[in-house]
Amino acid sequence: MNPVKSVVVAAVCAALGIVLPMAFHAIPGAGNAWLPMHIPVMICGLVAGSAPGAATGLLAPVLSSLLTGMPAAPILPSMTCELSVYGLISGALGAHVRTGRLPLDLYVSLAGAMLAGRLVGGALQALIFSSGTYSLAAWVTGYFVTGLPGIVLQLVVVVPIVVALERAGLVPPRYPEDASRD
Amino acid sequence: MRSTFGYVWSDSPLHRMRASVKLVGLLVSVALVVLASAPLELVVASLAVASLAVASRVGWAASARALWGLRWFLLVIFVLNALLFSTVDPLLSLGPACLTWTGIAQGARVVVRTALVVVLGVLLTATTSPQQLTSGVRDLLRPLARLGVPTEVAALAVGVTVQFVPTLLREGRQLMRAQTLRCSIARHGGIMRCAVSYVQLLVPVFVSAFRRAEELSVAMEARGYRIAGRSARPGEERRL
Repeated sequence: MNPVKSVVVAAVCAALGIVLPMAFHAIPGAGNAWLPMHIPVMICGLVAGSAPGAATGLLAPVLSSLLTGMPAAPILPSMTCELSVYGLISGALGAHVRTGRLPLDLYVSLAGAMLAGRLVGGALQALIFSSGTYSLAAWVTGYFVTGLPGIVLQLVVVVPIVVALERAGLVPPRYPEDASRD
Repeated sequence: MRSTFGYVWSDSPLHRMRASVKLVGLLVSVALVVLASAPLELVVASLAVASLAVASRVGWAASARALWGLRWFLLVIFVLNALLFSTVDPLLSLGPACLTWTGIAQGARVVVRTALVVVLGVLLTATTSPQQLTSGVRDLLRPLARLGVPTEVAALAVGVTVQFVPTLLREGRQLMRAQTLRCSIARHGGIMRCAVSYVQLLVPVFVSAFRRAEELSVAMEARGYRIAGRSARPGEERRL
């Protein structure tokens, strides 16, 4: 993907990262459970690479907080770090994982990013943002139990969306030879 | 149709103000709103935001439209705070949840703060065109260019992001109406069905957004916009 398109894709994904939570907040309590901001960040990492993915992870929460008040200021730093890691790792894994099967590549990259982001998020909470008061139970509850619907949603929708974008010719195909055969 | 977070044409002091000044003002205002906790401080902050809304001449309806979209979210915040913030002197006990005056006051505080931040965000985007916003971000980030931060690219990304928010909201609404006409959106039937209905919209929303990104990047390149590659030194990004 050329640099101009990478920047525009990162910006559009950041805009989706502002718009999707607004839609989900129409459902009571949906923001924390469905994690709608994570989806465009990971998709940006998978289709545009680690730098645009990390940039989306930085832009989406910061601009959303300034424009819509969400996420609230106290959780903004930790959420920004976590989302940037999701974008960075999904992009890095997306660039290097090559199993020969597109959905498998994407699922491996997605799962790796989801795990890495949660590990880094938990480490930052324990060391910086909630130093001394953070526990393993709080990490498991906050990152895996409360957000379980969001984890399932990401596993269900991210890969089909990336495949749909490839089929629509809107992002470069991972396996051009397969795309030309189709 | 005016949309939430869209630019509103008008000639007001806020429209004429430099974008960089408005951005700094937004950051300072948000910080002050977040720090305000006493009722008097929140009343003063509300009056200040109301006077900014009047000075912006974007209209009360445009200023408050985003709040209506967040009504359920704000209600949930209020109820959760009212029930879970404190257990001292409960007015009503429902298992582990206790309705207290302290909780009600905290809920009201959080809701007012969130509402004020939302209105400030709306006022920024209603009085600042995307081009002005990009220029303002570029001005503010310029000192960071010396440290190697690609400020031109960052300004472009912020400008495009803010520009796309109203567009994507409008397209999302259109897709939702189309799905409703096809009876695919569950207006009733519980939170789960409602959430599943939103999920079904995600693929068309993303495809539509990426199509717009493709069109915009092609148009920018056709007009000679280039970003230097990785090997370029800071400040070498340029507009041709």
